[in-house]
Amino acid sequence: MKRPALWIAATVLLVAAALTAVLATRSPAVTKIADSPLIGRIAPDVSGKALDGATVRLADLRGSFVVLNFFATWCIPCQREHPELVRFSQQHAADGSARVLQVIFDDTAAAARDFGKTNQVDWPVVEDPDGQVALDFGVRGPPESFLIGPDGLVLFKIVGQVDAAGLNRLLNEVAR
Amino acid sequence: MNNAVLGQSAVILGFLAAVSGAAALAYGLQQRRPAVVRAGRTYVWLLLGAALVACLAMERALITHDFSLKYVAENGSRTTPLLYTIASLWGALAGSILLWGLVLSGYLTAVTVRFRRHADDPIVGWALLVGLVVAAFFFGLMLGPANPFRTVSGAVVGDGPGPNPLLQNHPLMAYHPPMLYLGYVGFTVPFAFAIAALATGRLGEGWLVETRRWTLFAWGFLSVGILLGAWWSYEVLGWGGFWAWDPVENASFLPWLTATAYLHSVMVQERRGMLRVWNLSLLISTFSLTILGTFLTRSGVLDSVHSFTESSIGPLLLVFFGVVVAVGVGLIGWRGDELRAPGSVDSPVSREGAFLLNNLLFAAFAFVVLLGTVFPLVVEAVNGDRISVGRPYFDRMTGPIGLALLFMMAVAPALPWRKASGELLRTRLQVPAWVGALTLVGCVVAGVHGLTPLLAFGLGAFAAAAAVRQLVLATRRQGVRGLLGRANGGMVVHLGVVVIAVAFAASTSYSHRSEVRLRPGQSALVRGHRVTFLRVHEEKHGNRTSLVASIRVDGGRVFAPALSRFPFASQSIGTPSVRTGLREDVYLTLLSAPRASDGSIVLGVLVRPLVVWLWIGGGVMAIGTLMAAVPGRRRLPTSPASAPVPDAAPPRVPVAAPAP
Repeated sequence: MKRPALWIAATVLLVAAALTAVLATRSPAVTKIADSPLIGRIAPDVSGKALDGATVRLADLRGSFVVLNFFATWCIPCQREHPELVRFSQQHAADGSARVLQVIFDDTAAAARDFGKTNQVDWPVVEDPDGQVALDFGVRGPPESFLIGPDGLVLFKIVGQVDAAGLNRLLNEVAR
Repeated sequence: MNNAVLGQSAVILGFLAAVSGAAALAYGLQQRRPAVVRAGRTYVWLLLGAALVACLAMERALITHDFSLKYVAENGSRTTPLLYTIASLWGALAGSILLWGLVLSGYLTAVTVRFRRHADDPIVGWALLVGLVVAAFFFGLMLGPANPFRTVSGAVVGDGPGPNPLLQNHPLMAYHPPMLYLGYVGFTVPFAFAIAALATGRLGEGWLVETRRWTLFAWGFLSVGILLGAWWSYEVLGWGGFWAWDPVENASFLPWLTATAYLHSVMVQERRGMLRVWNLSLLISTFSLTILGTFLTRSGVLDSVHSFTESSIGPLLLVFFGVVVAVGVGLIGWRGDELRAPGSVDSPVSREGAFLLNNLLFAAFAFVVLLGTVFPLVVEAVNGDRISVGRPYFDRMTGPIGLALLFMMAVAPALPWRKASGELLRTRLQVPAWVGALTLVGCVVAGVHGLTPLLAFGLGAFAAAAAVRQLVLATRRQGVRGLLGRANGGMVVHLGVVVIAVAFAASTSYSHRSEVRLRPGQSALVRGHRVTFLRVHEEKHGNRTSLVASIRVDGGRVFAPALSRFPFASQSIGTPSVRTGLREDVYLTLLSAPRASDGSIVLGVLVRPLVVWLWIGGGVMAIGTLMAAVPGRRRLPTSPASAPVPDAAPPRVPVAAPAP
């Protein structure tokens, strides 16, 4: 072969261009699965006062999948993932196969109530004033979510933003 | 003076200095006007001054809690201890780019000073031009999406959240990133010289001897940085591991692999004048991989515990990566064939044959790691599935390559250049081979099981004995002085690598993990270690509140794994406590707070052998690198290979002779 360096260089350039194109078209990773010692175990108890004053318990939601979402109104990724949670909740509202339960993480109930006035929140939001629930779940920073099965077992821990498609994919994975 | 204004002006000044310097150098080189080239060099000092002022302004803002700066409001806090406040400079995206700019201007200044006597040499001019273009890019980032001196709009807060709790949990965090940056950014210098060589067409070995030392320098820092990262992960994250093939770890490991390959193959070029184009390709790959790694960690496309927050600098870094690859590979395609060296490897059983194989192994290693890192993205692009490539892939693929490298490490130093006779190999390899074989047999007799760790121990002993043999011969010939210089410093590095390989194999193959629930006063026996839970108490530190358990290990010292909560973020993170030993570590983590009913806690106990030898091996590597950087006895490169390639470059000043 004449001029091997030229040919090799051309091939490398093509591969690099393809790689660059792939990288350029990727959206940021969402619904990131993380490891947690809780996976495969019964979820720690969540019970507390919801924003409307009612008492909410995680155990009462047995029978449906639950997305337990830790959030704060000051957290930008939480604000970004909110419409996705709404979408997910609506997709499963009819058959009640999956529900959303939010826990306020290092934020005031007042701020969360204000957030609910301007944003659609059609699920219970639980206060966690002394951070005990977050401690039980080993939450490091919002947003973090746990997918909990109908039997109360923790199936997945998700760090960072979730999206409806990603959550549905996890549900399908469990179904398989 | 206002920190924001001061810092912002310094960044603008730095950007202008880089652009003007690059323009002056380009003009001077193109018009062949040495006076303009010399003038272009002075901008490097301006760049350094600007970077220093910008970093000082940021440190001043952090230390004086100037919350009018967005960066300080997001990463600073009045309760954070001083060390972590200073380290917050590189704790988040914009600040890390600022540190990058400072380190790069430092390196460029060092190049200017080092080659001040060759100021008129176009190869130095070109190298500085490339360096300044890279600097202009990074300062440009700070003017746009990664501006560290943005001010908050609206009311200034009274206190901030402080750095990410994981980053203020251990002092190693203060040293790991700067070390990594000294390594990462340092590869800009050899890259710049490689581009300069391609642009001028002067591939003489003269510049190469210099470039090798700059690469060695950066490589040494990167090695230490990677190991400090592993150490930090072990001491802080609480999962008891030190390496997880996380994309960010891979991002730092990839350039390390290609740079290691270069440090070996460059010797073939120095001695035999061969592998020139390959060496240039390795330098260009190394730099490209640092930019790719920076992109992967800062664009949020990959799933990683380390990722910086999502930001808009991703596309810019990707464009820059594309430009670097296109320019580098394009130049090689254009010039490569005329620069290829005369001569070929005489026999595969020779030093150059061994280096060639070593390079193929390192290239394969890098390919495997790169593939595993970007494969999920490629699959997603092709069919939309999100998959993750886990530990098993990396372990299975890299294990055999690692073992083959250990074998080469044992054999290669014994091989002579050009051709080896069977007789010679027998005399040189006899003792090391016996040491390796006896170690293997000894391990089997002692009941060590598992093929991979057994091979690692046997080959490790073989390689270590080969390195020790070289060192003994060198000191016998020249005394302590014989330990200095590339060849023998390299052998010390090899010893460090063997120690790490053995420790890695043992600690990953023979660790034992268990979880025990203990009431106060209760004990449990884990792998021969008695752990006793004494009590739990709360401690208040400036920046956190910790729930600390007192655990006595083997009736001796009391250890204190903790669960810490940081008040502002109310995040809870576990702080492991480790009893370090030369034989094995007992790694304790507090997994749950005491139960109200009986005060019992859940304690994680991990018994891991030989972990401390990873860090000791790293220290040996660092010492070896220093010894290799000291000039030893060096043979001059053979003259035909050093001569300029005819007609490729306009006749000008002679090749920059390397100062000894």
